[in-house]
Amino acid sequence: MNVDYHALAPEIILGITVLAVLVVDLLRIPKYWTAVIGLVGLFAAFVPVLTLGFCESLDFCTEPETAQRVLFGGSFVVDTFSLVLKGLFLGATAVALLLSVGYIEEDRYWQGEFYFLMLCSALGAVVLASSRDLVTLFVALELVTGPTFLMAGWRKGDPRSNEAALKYFIIGVLSAAILLFGMSLVYGYTGELTFGGIRAATAALGDSALLTIGVILTLLGFAFKVSAVPFHFWTPDTYQGAPIPVTAYLSVVSKTAGFVGLLTLSYQAFAELRDVWGPLLWILAALSMTVGNLIAVRQDDIVRLLGYSSIAQGGFILVPFGAAVAGNVTGDQLEQAFFATVTYLLIYAVMNMGAFAVVIAGANRLKSTLIADWGGLSSYAPGLAGLLALFFASLAGIPPIAGWFAKLVMFSSVLGVDSGWATALAVIAVLNSVVAFYYYAKVIKSAWFDQVPDTIPAAELRGMGRAVAPSLQFALVLTAVGVLVLGIFPNLIADVGDVAKTVAAGF
Amino acid sequence: MDVGDWVSTPQNWVFLVIALPMLFAGFKVVQTSNVVHAVLYLVGTLGGSAALFILLGAEFVAWTVVLVYIGAVIVLFLFGIMITRAPLGFDVTLSHPVRIRVAAAVVAFVLFALVGGAMLAEFENQTIPEAADATRTVEIGLSIFDRFVIPFEVVSVVLLAALIGGIVLARRDPAEEEEAGVVR
Amino acid sequence: MLINQFLLLGAALFALGVYGVLTRRNAVMVLLSVELMLAAVNINFVAFDRLIGDELAGGQIFALFIIAVAAAEVGIGLAIILLIFRNRRSANVDELDLLKL
Repeated sequence: MNVDYHALAPEIILGITVLAVLVVDLLRIPKYWTAVIGLVGLFAAFVPVLTLGFCESLDFCTEPETAQRVLFGGSFVVDTFSLVLKGLFLGATAVALLLSVGYIEEDRYWQGEFYFLMLCSALGAVVLASSRDLVTLFVALELVTGPTFLMAGWRKGDPRSNEAALKYFIIGVLSAAILLFGMSLVYGYTGELTFGGIRAATAALGDSALLTIGVILTLLGFAFKVSAVPFHFWTPDTYQGAPIPVTAYLSVVSKTAGFVGLLTLSYQAFAELRDVWGPLLWILAALSMTVGNLIAVRQDDIVRLLGYSSIAQGGFILVPFGAAVAGNVTGDQLEQAFFATVTYLLIYAVMNMGAFAVVIAGANRLKSTLIADWGGLSSYAPGLAGLLALFFASLAGIPPIAGWFAKLVMFSSVLGVDSGWATALAVIAVLNSVVAFYYYAKVIKSAWFDQVPDTIPAAELRGMGRAVAPSLQFALVLTAVGVLVLGIFPNLIADVGDVAKTVAAGF
Repeated sequence: MDVGDWVSTPQNWVFLVIALPMLFAGFKVVQTSNVVHAVLYLVGTLGGSAALFILLGAEFVAWTVVLVYIGAVIVLFLFGIMITRAPLGFDVTLSHPVRIRVAAAVVAFVLFALVGGAMLAEFENQTIPEAADATRTVEIGLSIFDRFVIPFEVVSVVLLAALIGGIVLARRDPAEEEEAGVVR
Repeated sequence: MLINQFLLLGAALFALGVYGVLTRRNAVMVLLSVELMLAAVNINFVAFDRLIGDELAGGQIFALFIIAVAAAEVGIGLAIILLIFRNRRSANVDELDLLKL
């Protein structure tokens, strides 16, 4: 059997990195070397992603006969969509690693094993981006989430961390069971495991109550992973209790992995069943945006606020799926909706990572994550306050910082569709953007215009507090640059998102 | 297939002999107020499913269930129960009060009715075809290392991560032991 | 053998598992109920595999992977529960109320 090793190169390199981290952890050298090995591995794994993407222009790269590399009977496909997402996962993990280095080191936490788990989870995400059959999708999803259950409880002595891990775990296995039951019904009805096969079978066999239930249960399983309301109740507690770098990782990589599952399932496997997943995801989008935003308004802890904000952002990301509600939606419009989701995911990853980086930097100095305690940050930590304003403005969608393009694309994907429901969803999204603006602005206002609270020790105010760790600084710079560049030159993302449309082709 | 055919096939009687105790055991898993009994009833359910797999001609899966599920997972559960010093014997606080249980029962029943109804509507009287070969172990072996090798490798990483992460979380840290005054 | 007798059994066990997850207070018992749900899914997969006559034996292989993943999850879950027990001397799920809305 001929195996296309070039197509598997990112996964193979990540696998070697995972084992290397374990081995290096055994040696009697400072623990941060495991993090260094991890970062090197992540960058090394990124190289084949680039060579696979730009294969035509490279001499040593052999083009496959078809436009995409299909391996293992169609279960593992390397197309531009999967390459774009692999890049996202690798980049986000690298940033999360940078965020963790200072955090984990200071408290005698188990470091080598932590980076090992994070890299395992990243390996799962990278495989997930390419999975095009039910088995690979499920197993890759489990690899993404399994280590995160453990990472959430890494602060062993902290009861809130324990509780976060347990709640997250219970919901995680429950959603896996529901997902599997749905998959079993789909498999039973169609007799196929690959997405292409399922699509062909549903086209040939027509509709059925059993298939509808199977599809709904499968998508509901993923709804838990992306924290769609009403399956979001684990998110705030877990985000608040887990160590903040783990929360950052969860909110970007784990959530995006869930969205990749939804994307590939909806646009490939269940492509003929738009009348099932269109309305379902419409409802989830509307609920997530609204509930997430309304509860976020009442939050006074910045990490919990970001947790609800990510639920609401998840709702925004779900909005383009709602374009499928229209009965007469064209293939172009569906491609546009797909592009909107991918673009939003990319921009969201950069924004959210940046926001969490700022929160970690601030929490390190202030020893508190209450918004009130961050008052007057600009007077003694102007750089930090500036970055805070940058990332929160981006989350709110203010031009010329990255978030605005994501929102623009999202709106245009639903407004172009000829359906009252789709337009209603767009209206809900607009209203929610306004509400969201309020609480993002609240945080910025607190940092810039409020008085410094008495609880801050005078030493902090004189700038003699703990310095920001270099890895954290690097992460902050990376994400800040990313957010600015993507905001001012959105065509970069547009081009990337454009090529990702290959998955949605064929409508 | 009508009732007469169904009754005259011996495999269906074997199925009933396995399935009815399985259902009873499954019910007791979620209802009993004794922790250890619940685990043992799950053994009954899993053993029943292994027997059903043999009936269906999936012997490899059946023995994997016995070895891995019953042999390892259940043992893990029993260790977990012993180490967390769960109150052994009958403990009525194991389940929520009656109000919640009734609501949960309604939810579960509605779910069963929906799914079961859909299944009946879809498959009606379809029978499982007689298999050409009693077991498919050769095909499974060939498939796992050929078509399904990626999930296979990924599952091995899942197990490795669970192993290492589980040890890190569950172990007593040396610092903790110092505080507790443990002498080594 | 009817396919439906296996599927109905699977659906019944799954529903029982859902009942267990909703009613049990102890984390180990909730995990036990989820295992019941996974056993039901396995029955579904193997029965469907036989019905379809899948040359790849996809259903059975999926069942094998589910068993492996379930074993890993139980390991993870019990490690977390053990950690909680060590810190709080109790594994009851609804005693965890430190993180409020």
